[in-house]
Amino acid sequence: MAMGINKIVKDTLIIAWIKSYPDFRRNPLMLLLLAMISAIPLFFMLMFSSGGNVILHGLIGAMVSSVAFAGVMSGIQDISWDRYVKIREMIVAMPVRPASYALGIALAPLLISIPSLILFGAITAYLGFLNIDILLWIVPALLAVWAAMSTMGFMISTYLFKASPMLLNNLSNLLGIGFIFIPPVYFSEAQLGGLSWISIIIPTSNVAGLIRSYFGLLSLSTETVIIRWAVLIVMTLTFVTLISLKSKWRES
Amino acid sequence: MEIEAVKSVGLRKVYNSKHSKESVEALKGVSIDVKKSELFTLLGPNGAGKTTFLRIISTQLLPSGGDAHVLGFSVVNEPEEVRKHIAVVPQDVATYNNFTPWEYGYYFARLRGMDSVEAKKMAEEALKAVDLWDLRNRICQTLSGGEKRRAIIASVLSSDADVLMLDEPTSGLDAVARRGVWSALRELIGKGKTILLTTHMMEEAEMISDRLAIVNKGSVVACGRPDEIKALVKERFRVVINGEFKQLSSYGETAKLGDRNIVYLKTQGEVIDLLRDSLKMNLRAEASPVTLEDVFVKLVGGLNGNGN
Repeated sequence: MAMGINKIVKDTLIIAWIKSYPDFRRNPLMLLLLAMISAIPLFFMLMFSSGGNVILHGLIGAMVSSVAFAGVMSGIQDISWDRYVKIREMIVAMPVRPASYALGIALAPLLISIPSLILFGAITAYLGFLNIDILLWIVPALLAVWAAMSTMGFMISTYLFKASPMLLNNLSNLLGIGFIFIPPVYFSEAQLGGLSWISIIIPTSNVAGLIRSYFGLLSLSTETVIIRWAVLIVMTLTFVTLISLKSKWRES
Repeated sequence: MEIEAVKSVGLRKVYNSKHSKESVEALKGVSIDVKKSELFTLLGPNGAGKTTFLRIISTQLLPSGGDAHVLGFSVVNEPEEVRKHIAVVPQDVATYNNFTPWEYGYYFARLRGMDSVEAKKMAEEALKAVDLWDLRNRICQTLSGGEKRRAIIASVLSSDADVLMLDEPTSGLDAVARRGVWSALRELIGKGKTILLTTHMMEEAEMISDRLAIVNKGSVVACGRPDEIKALVKERFRVVINGEFKQLSSYGETAKLGDRNIVYLKTQGEVIDLLRDSLKMNLRAEASPVTLEDVFVKLVGGLNGNGN
């Protein structure tokens, strides 16, 4: 049993490494560009807004969007690309568990997003907003949004099994934009007024709200915090269930 | 009794369309035995069922009926055991552009459970076998189509799997590169590996196979050594004649290729008679033993072949 888990973990890390390191090494500028996409709204917020907390709202948005975009991208783009180039067929015929493949694929863009996360975290710390207590809450919150967005991406690629890679590619870009730039990720959900509950059902704005509460930018009751975490967990588990109902490691 | 490397019994596959009531029977009860340390080829036209067979044997696809065993393990019920012993190159597989041939060999060996030292050794051997060692650190984006394919094949060679399954592994390769791959595959047979490959190239099948099966429309039409397959037709020789030759069918079975005629003959005497008559008519004629392609066309049907 322990041997089996060791193998799953080892294979997960190898697949994550395969899917991240060559890109990381050979296209560092592309990675910088990905980090810049998350930082663009922050830049505009600094240009056109004033107020002490604007930069922190923007930094929170940048951190959430880095991870969320990585999640949805891996679930849709990487899976469909592997199908298209038939690398997946080679891996299916190897002594590799489906869990290792899925986790490895999901983990890879998270590794790629680490430099930008460190950058945004370092700026937050430099400006005096970040301390170790807050960090201990932010990391699990970011992991939660990564899990929710990755599983959502996997679910989409599972149910749109026969869609072309180009369609899925465009879909993932649209979802990325839709989940990151429209809901209150870069701005406070308080600005939505009576509609602020919407932010709870969208994983990105849910986590952004949680992180804002840890920074003291948003006042949330303990019950609300628990509900938000529960929504994230239930949403992720629902996606996992839907994936397991439809996905097939071996075709029939 | 020794266990076969691959044994299929009555393997069937039916593809049902969700959009229409029509179904396609891709495999109609295929039974094949592949011995250990044998290079076995599935030879057939496009759509014959070769890839479907290979995908079932390599545990990527479930059959609709029948079963197959790889080294004694059922592909239906024991896929995880089967996967420990096989490595696969799918048809038309593409490369990760940012990968180098070295990374293909090394990381795929690691995924099979090898430690770093062993994986490096296997990757080096595999890349040298497919003549890619000098290009090992070039990213695939900058390699030619043939070099990319050899990089993929190297990833399979580095696996140290007992049974290798390759779906049209040399399609798109030039003659020199193709021979390089053939040589590497034959060397693996010498090391005790079993190889199951598909191709529609007669020359490839004849050159490297220990045994082969001709597959057509989901059924095995013939199975055996290349010389045994060739012996399935009664004609032993072919004469190719350039130009118009009247009443050629009186010599034997003929096939027409534009301005050329092929005549299939049983004895050397018949060949000599036809060559002499052709020369009398000032026509160029060339005689040779029948090829696997001649037999293949006759068995599966095609140009002037009766088929099926």
